[in-house]
This record gives sequence, C-alpha cells and structure tokens, in this order.
Amino acid sequence: MQQYIIQRVLLNIPVILLVVTFVFFASHIRPDWAEQRAAQGMSSTKDYKEAVQAIRHELGTDKPLWRQYVNYLGKISRGDFGTSFITGHSVTSELRGRLVASMELGALQILISLAIAVPIGVVAAVRQDTWVDYVLRFTAVLGLAIPAFYLGTLLLLLATKVVGWTPPLIPTAYREIWQDPAANLKMMALPALAGGFAEAAVIMRLLRSELLEVLRQDYVRTAWAKGLRERAVLTRHAMRNAMAPVVTIIGLLIGVLFGGNVVLESMFSVPGAGQFIVISLEQSDFPVVQGVVLIVAVALVTTNLVVDLAYAWIDPRIRYS
Amino acid sequence: MAREIAAPGGIAAMAGATEVLVARRPAWQRLLRTAVRRPLGTIGGGIVALICVAAVGAPLVARYDPAQSFQIQNSHYNPNVASDKGYNTTTALDQYVQDSKSAPSAKHWLGTDEAGRDVWSRIIWGARRSMGIGVPTMLLAVAVGAMLAVVSGYFGGIVDTLMQRVLDAFQAFPSLLLLLLIGSAFDLNARNLVLSLAFVGVAQVSRVVRSKVLTLRELPFVEAGRVLGATDLRLMVRHILPNTMGTVIVVFTIGIGSVILAEASLAFLGLTHAGVSWGMMLNSGRNFINSSPWQAVFSGAAITLAVLGFNLLGDTLRDVLDPRLRI
Repeated sequence: MQQYIIQRVLLNIPVILLVVTFVFFASHIRPDWAEQRAAQGMSSTKDYKEAVQAIRHELGTDKPLWRQYVNYLGKISRGDFGTSFITGHSVTSELRGRLVASMELGALQILISLAIAVPIGVVAAVRQDTWVDYVLRFTAVLGLAIPAFYLGTLLLLLATKVVGWTPPLIPTAYREIWQDPAANLKMMALPALAGGFAEAAVIMRLLRSELLEVLRQDYVRTAWAKGLRERAVLTRHAMRNAMAPVVTIIGLLIGVLFGGNVVLESMFSVPGAGQFIVISLEQSDFPVVQGVVLIVAVALVTTNLVVDLAYAWIDPRIRYS
Repeated sequence: MAREIAAPGGIAAMAGATEVLVARRPAWQRLLRTAVRRPLGTIGGGIVALICVAAVGAPLVARYDPAQSFQIQNSHYNPNVASDKGYNTTTALDQYVQDSKSAPSAKHWLGTDEAGRDVWSRIIWGARRSMGIGVPTMLLAVAVGAMLAVVSGYFGGIVDTLMQRVLDAFQAFPSLLLLLLIGSAFDLNARNLVLSLAFVGVAQVSRVVRSKVLTLRELPFVEAGRVLGATDLRLMVRHILPNTMGTVIVVFTIGIGSVILAEASLAFLGLTHAGVSWGMMLNSGRNFINSSPWQAVFSGAAITLAVLGFNLLGDTLRDVLDPRLRI
C-alpha cells in the first residue's frame, strides 16, 4: 500500500505541473489586452503608453517568457494566485468563502443523487428486463441528456406554478449555512436538485450494470441457497461489492459537478467559485478567471488522487494491477 | 483487412474462407434488421435525421425568417390620444406593437419570443447553429485525436507516457472550465469555438481510441503484416487505423451530443455570440418564464432532444460496432 501511495502521488506531480503550465500560457496569450485594461484606470494623469509600460513593469510582463514562467511558479508556490483587476483583492481572499458554498452545493448534489440512484439502480437490476427496468432506464437516458441548467429552469417553473414557491434569486439573500441554515437551503434547494438528478442518472446506470454482474456470481447464489431473505442477499452480499466502483465514479463526478455548477451557480445566485468565474469573465477580469481555474483544477487532481487511494484501500486487488 | 493480407498464399486462403462462411445479406436488409431489433437506436437515429434535415433545410423548414419581428394590432390604440390628456400615451400611441411573448397558435406554432420573433423558426435555425458547431468540431477532434492515439498507442514507450500525462492534465479540468479558460484568452466566435471545443474533444477521443489501439497492436494480423515486411507507417495507416473506425464512429456520434451541450452551456452563459442559438434562447426565455414559458421550455427541449438523439444512436452503434467499448 505504501509503495502504491508513493507511486500515485509521484504520478500526480507532473500532472499538476502541466496544469500550471497550461494556465500560465493561457494567461499570456493576450497580455497586452489585459495591460491596456489595467492602464485605463491611470491613463488620466500619465501618457497612455507610459501607463502601459508601468503596468508591464509592475506585472513583470516586460521580462522574457522563461523568466515570467519562473516568477509565476514562485508566486504560486507562495500561494499567490493573482490579483483582481477590478477590486484589487487577491484571488485567494475572494475565493475562500466561495469555495465553501461550492463544496456545500456539490455535497448536497451527491447526497441527493445517491438518495435517488441507489434505490432505483437496485430495483432496475433486480427487475431486469421487465417494464419497470425499461421505464427506469429510459428515465436515466433522458436524465443524461437533459442539461442541468434546463432542469433547473423547469424546476423553477414547477416550484412557482405548481408549488407556489419562488426561491430567492437575489445574491444578497444568501447566508452561510451556519449563520442561517433555512435561508441557505432555500437558495441551494433548486440547484442541488437539478445537479443531483443529472448525476443520479450516471450513478444509477453504473450501479445497475455492476449489480447485474455481481448478482450472477456464485457467492450470491450460495446466499440465496442457504435461504437468506432478498433484503439480506442484496444489502449484505451484493451491494457491498457493487458499490465499490460507485465510489470511484463519485470522485470523477466531483469534477463534472463543478463544471455543471458553473452554470447552476450563476443561474440561482449561489455565490460559489463557478459564479465567480462567470462574473469575472463578464468583466474581463482575467487574472481571477485563471487563478480560480488553476485552484479548482489542482483541487480536483488532489480529490481524484484521494479517491484513487481510497479505492485501493477498499479493494486491494487494484494495487497489484 | 482481408484484402490487405490477400497477396501471399496461405494466410489469404484463411482470410478468404472466413469471408465465405458468413453469408451476407444486402446492406439495406441488415440495416433494417438492426433497426427493428434496437428500437432505442432507431429512435435516436430518427431524431438525428430530423435534426440534420432541420439544419440543412432550415430556410425551407422554418416558416418565417428567424430575425423577423412580428407586429400585432395594438388593443390600447387610440387615434384621439393626442387630444385626450387623461390617457396613457405610451401604450396608446402606436397602432401596431410587437407581437411578443405570445402563446403557441396556428400562426406561431411555438409562440413568439420577447422581440416578437417566431420561436419555431428560431429553433429550426438553432439546429443549424448546433450542427454547424457540432459536426466540424467532432470531425476535427476525431481526425487529430485518432492520429495521436494511433501513433502513441502503436509506439508506446516515452512518447506514449508523455502523451498520457498531458491528457491527464487536461482531464483535470472539467471541460466547461477549460472552455472558460480558453474563452478568457480568445473571443469565442464560431471559428474559435470550434477550435477550442475540438481541443477539448481531442483529449477525450484519443483516450478512447488509444485503448483500442493497445489491443489491436497485439493481434496476429498486425504481427503478420510486420512479418511480411510492412513498415510502421503502413501498419499504422493501413492495418490499425481502419480497425479503429468502429470506435471512432461511436466516439464521433456521442461527441456531437456533448459538443451541442457545451455550445448550449456557453451560449446560455452569454459567452458566445450567434444569430440564433438554443442556449441563448433558453437564457433569454428564463427572464419571462412565469408569464410566457414557451420559449424557455421549447428551446431547452430542443437541446435535450438533440443530445438524447445522439446518445441513443451512439449507444446503439457501440453495441453493434464495438460492444466492449466503455464510454
């Protein structure tokens, strides 16, 4: 296990380095644009060209590319992920509270998707090739096709027209969960449901196919043969093995969820990291976009590493393949 | 493949024999049998065909110009408004007003949007936008991705390891995030949109095709080719590449669905600009969803239907062409 952990961690170092390099080049494709934007604020007093020059000096973009790259690496290793053009605050200070909101939304979505997918996946597998199975599978295929932001729109329509409840869509209505759980959950409810449904489809399909495979194995037949009840066979024998791959897919889903939440957070005014990216993009606040993307990507690489290690710990066969 | 090996005697006889043993029906009969046996794939194929018709024949299928703003008699119109001081002049002055946000009717099958434009016509033209981005993107992604996959999978070693690490790095970004990053550096017009979506697609295509190449290169026919003196280039282009085509077609089909979804997401966020786009329609329809939900509901349904069609077709193609493939 120790050797496996070391191997996996070492494999991730070049990946993170490449992620950083990629973000670095993306941020240097059009530096002039960014500098001119920044210079606009101070061009009233100085000559415009002089202002651009001053900004270039301040940002360090007048140096050769390799030097800039080294500086960039140094900055990042010190935890400096850039500064907003608009507010002048550092990206990390703005992001701290937002990551909490994003993580809360993601956690809610995973809980909802598991609550939907596990019972449905079990029923579909146990009643394989009956009409129940067909209906559930078709719903899952539909769930895969429907974009989260359309589902969110439909849920909003449904809540307003049928339930007669409209969630607060103004950003100022947001409260952190330990300040005011009710207000927080009101904001989170619809995006959590919309994202949760979409992911439930993926989990349900995987669980169904895994369970079908497990149910055909000898030890399950033994369990049936010794007269165990269906519930005991399913939960104590079959599910344990069928759930292992679901653990891995949840790790991968965190990335997918984050991508989808960029849209959902903007739609439902949840002040998360995804909404931050979109707002910054609208304001052409590129350092923020790139800083946030980098932090999120590194966070996802780390999450996947942890999930991989957890999986190897659950299922020792993985370590030797 | 059989034709390739056909020149030297012994192997040719074997290849020829398997060819004879399988009695082949005409292509259209086989297609029909597959269609009947796999109803979901047939539905998917039907949806895809409809979208293709809409995209290609948009000027003929759409009933109106998608940019045309329809007018309607103003019910508040009062010709004497100028002399009548007590009247609300802003609503009473014009004889005609925009026929905006109207419900579905015989004239406007799916209603009209906030500017009085016909939603049905805009959805048809939206199909052209979606396919106009989806098809070239995946063609590019598949061409580059398959080439990279064959080279790296065939040679293995350091080239392969390097490429895998680069792909892992791309995999670390959720694809929408990668697109937003690219969008921060470039203006996402149609050309840049295709290029950046294809860029994201290459990583996904080559990952899948590479795993296929890894199994193919161990098969006897590749070894046979090598024994006969075929060069690496010939083995890759004439032997391995043609055998990845099943996988490539599946990836291509499912990929178009995800490109349509990605385009819709970016348009929904207002990060692209196009005349008509389903994502844009859904976004603007959201603003008046309670008074007139038609535009939002129908444009979203169009996105869902398109993605569903390509997914169903792709799933079935996979079952037929490459059953072991896991996407």
